[in-house]
Amino acid sequence: MKLKQIVLSILLGGIASSSFSFSGFYVAKADTKLFNKTSQVILVRDGNKMTVTMSNDFKGDINDFAMVVPVPTILKREDIRVVPASLFGKLDAYSGPRLVEYHDYNPCNPPLPQYYFESMDMVTSTNIETTSVPRLANKSVTIEAQYQVEEYDILILSATESTGLRDWLIENGYKIPSAADEVLEPYIKNKMKFFVVKVNAEKMAEMSGMNTVKKYIDDPDMGDVKDLRPLQITYESDKFMLPIRLGMANSTGEQDMVVYAFTREGRVESTNYRTTKIPSNTMIPEFVREKFGQFYVDLFDKAHTNENNEAIFLEYAWNVSPQFTGMKCDPCVGPPPIFADLKEAGVDWAVNSSNQASSDVFFTRLHLRYKRETHPQDLLFHVTPNKENFQARYIITNAATGDLSCESGQEYCVKVVKRRADELENLKDLTAWNTQQYKEYVQEYYDKLEDPTLMNRIEADPKRNDSFPFFPGDRHDPKGGLKWGILAGVFAFMLGIVGFRLYRKTLFGWSFSFSIKY
Amino acid sequence: MPFMEIIWYMHPLTGKVNFFKLNLYSSQNGSIMQANEANIRIENQSLKSVISAGLKDARHYQILYLSSFLVYGIIALNWEITVQQLVVVIGSSLVTQFLWLKLADKPMSGLKSALITALGLCLILKSASILTLAVAAVVAISSKFILKIKNKHLFNPANFGIIFSVLILGDAWISPGQWGSSAIFLFALSVFGGIVLMKIGRLETSLVFLGSLFLMEFGRMYLYQGWEMDVLFHKFSSGTLLLFTFFMITDPMTIPNARKSRIIWALILATATFILGNYMQIYTAPIWVLFFMTPITVFFDKIWPDAKFQWLQ
Repeated sequence: MKLKQIVLSILLGGIASSSFSFSGFYVAKADTKLFNKTSQVILVRDGNKMTVTMSNDFKGDINDFAMVVPVPTILKREDIRVVPASLFGKLDAYSGPRLVEYHDYNPCNPPLPQYYFESMDMVTSTNIETTSVPRLANKSVTIEAQYQVEEYDILILSATESTGLRDWLIENGYKIPSAADEVLEPYIKNKMKFFVVKVNAEKMAEMSGMNTVKKYIDDPDMGDVKDLRPLQITYESDKFMLPIRLGMANSTGEQDMVVYAFTREGRVESTNYRTTKIPSNTMIPEFVREKFGQFYVDLFDKAHTNENNEAIFLEYAWNVSPQFTGMKCDPCVGPPPIFADLKEAGVDWAVNSSNQASSDVFFTRLHLRYKRETHPQDLLFHVTPNKENFQARYIITNAATGDLSCESGQEYCVKVVKRRADELENLKDLTAWNTQQYKEYVQEYYDKLEDPTLMNRIEADPKRNDSFPFFPGDRHDPKGGLKWGILAGVFAFMLGIVGFRLYRKTLFGWSFSFSIKY
Repeated sequence: MPFMEIIWYMHPLTGKVNFFKLNLYSSQNGSIMQANEANIRIENQSLKSVISAGLKDARHYQILYLSSFLVYGIIALNWEITVQQLVVVIGSSLVTQFLWLKLADKPMSGLKSALITALGLCLILKSASILTLAVAAVVAISSKFILKIKNKHLFNPANFGIIFSVLILGDAWISPGQWGSSAIFLFALSVFGGIVLMKIGRLETSLVFLGSLFLMEFGRMYLYQGWEMDVLFHKFSSGTLLLFTFFMITDPMTIPNARKSRIIWALILATATFILGNYMQIYTAPIWVLFFMTPITVFFDKIWPDAKFQWLQ
């Protein structure tokens, strides 16, 4: 873990009940591959327009790299781009689960008026396997288009028969699994095209300057590449779908996927799998700071198991519009995406033609773990108007140190003991760690008590997670007037009926069956 | 000296006020004993009649059915429904229904229907705005009293409220994936749903709808496209689809009265759902199809007339 110190000062808008400025520093970043086999995808959905960015952290001989993605249309050259790999890093760092830290002050030696928080961020690692890799040949395959985009050779294929497509791919040197044809079949029947990618080793060498080096060094080792840059495609489709079945053709194990979705309206959720929030806003023990990465991995494991291995977890949801002046996270673990990042991700409405910043860019981060048995269907999504904010956030409270022998200090110790016991319980619930081994954590402050019977007389502090988190959503309701109008209209209509009946009754003196009786 | 005592009581379920008479003859010990026994017997009878009346009214089953799944959703599935939202939806439904019933001079047992509608809204409609939910509830209930032909309401009230808020208000949505695909839960949903429908006598509508939709999807996904069966099953293991099948399309007040027309009606519904869902990518297709199908009920009732459904038969 490398240490960074960035001081951020976030001023809360008038929305929050308690608005004060934070100076937070962002202490550590766990940029390891915490989750094995993780793919990352950016989905940008605007009406029927869809931009998909797929990260590649392929390691190995670039000649083995192949990617097959079903796409609904024949993509044009300008629909395909290569974007810098750092984009994923930025989005990940910004939206990842976070640790927020508070410091108690010593009641015997008061107060320190500032709130500090530190946060740690996790980075998920990647391994795109939305794609698969096949071997053999046929005539049922048509090459609809062929492009060279930077280091990639791209073909858009259409096929009439799945074994033909599989054979064609294998014969042409694409390493795809032999079982792929079964999975290819439904896509062919659905009239989908195939976006097929290979790395052009020649071009790659040219770009990295190796061609010149080769003149002077005989047979340099050029097999392994560090990073393949992410590919981005744009197309129009009424289907908001992410094909995951192809990636499972040769894989029996579980894979993780992190989806970063941008929309105008609000949160993205799955329509054919359950989308639920990852447990968040919980107070956890201080020592978790050192193993936050492991903590989150285990937390995710447990949440995943609790949900029958099938749910999709929401890890972050926020309005990240460049124009939105409210805060975009608490704490922020990285700088918010800026125009350039949003534009790079394909959010082309971030700035309009007159160069004005948009106020509606909603960012959703979803995390799922899937395998063939539990996720037989491709992921289908929809955009909801839900603008409620959410973040995976865990809270550490550092207990005061020093002399606590004064009266209020003793009371404080009782509170710490109770709080720490709760924190351990939370930790057990979240991660299934054995918390018996951390008895000392509670014992520490119990030992500071001169009179242990004080334990029965002092109550624990209210939990911070009940009182603290303030995630103001977009409270402005543009249709509030319409709603009140409808309500008033309905009740006015009722009154009208009453009035009409009264009127008839009094006017003609007839006794109608008048039904309002009190 | 014999004297008579009249005991008033309110029927706890129908809300009807009734009385029974008790004759007490003298202050002699023996006869008072007798009277007490009589009293107890009468009370027992009234309890029995209460239970049997409760069993007769299928709405009680529906209320039980829907509320238990709502509790399941909130407790086991961590739905983001606040107490405030529940109170607002149920409260505004009941108040609106009460006012309309008063205006139309109808029995207060109609409040049960409002509770069913409110529970249906809580189960299906999602919104971050409480005001939106309140409007949905008020509009849903009012649609029953305003939009009607020949004493039969044109739209299923919950369906109308949902479509209205999704289309007009814009900040409400449906979460088709919210139920997950836990097998036990789906089984319970179907079995209890089936029992309720047996009570109402509308089970065939659900079965025809679900069966024909399954056949169509089977033909498309399994036979034509070549997906495995578990992909197909996963598509059908949707709580929203089952809830819709067993609760919403079988609302006896908005579907045809005659069995024959109900079967044809369910077939049309399934076909339209299939087309909308697969070729137009509307994930909540059944709810939209139902919206347009319920008004057609009027024509079906004209072609194949039958007695209108009564909750208390």
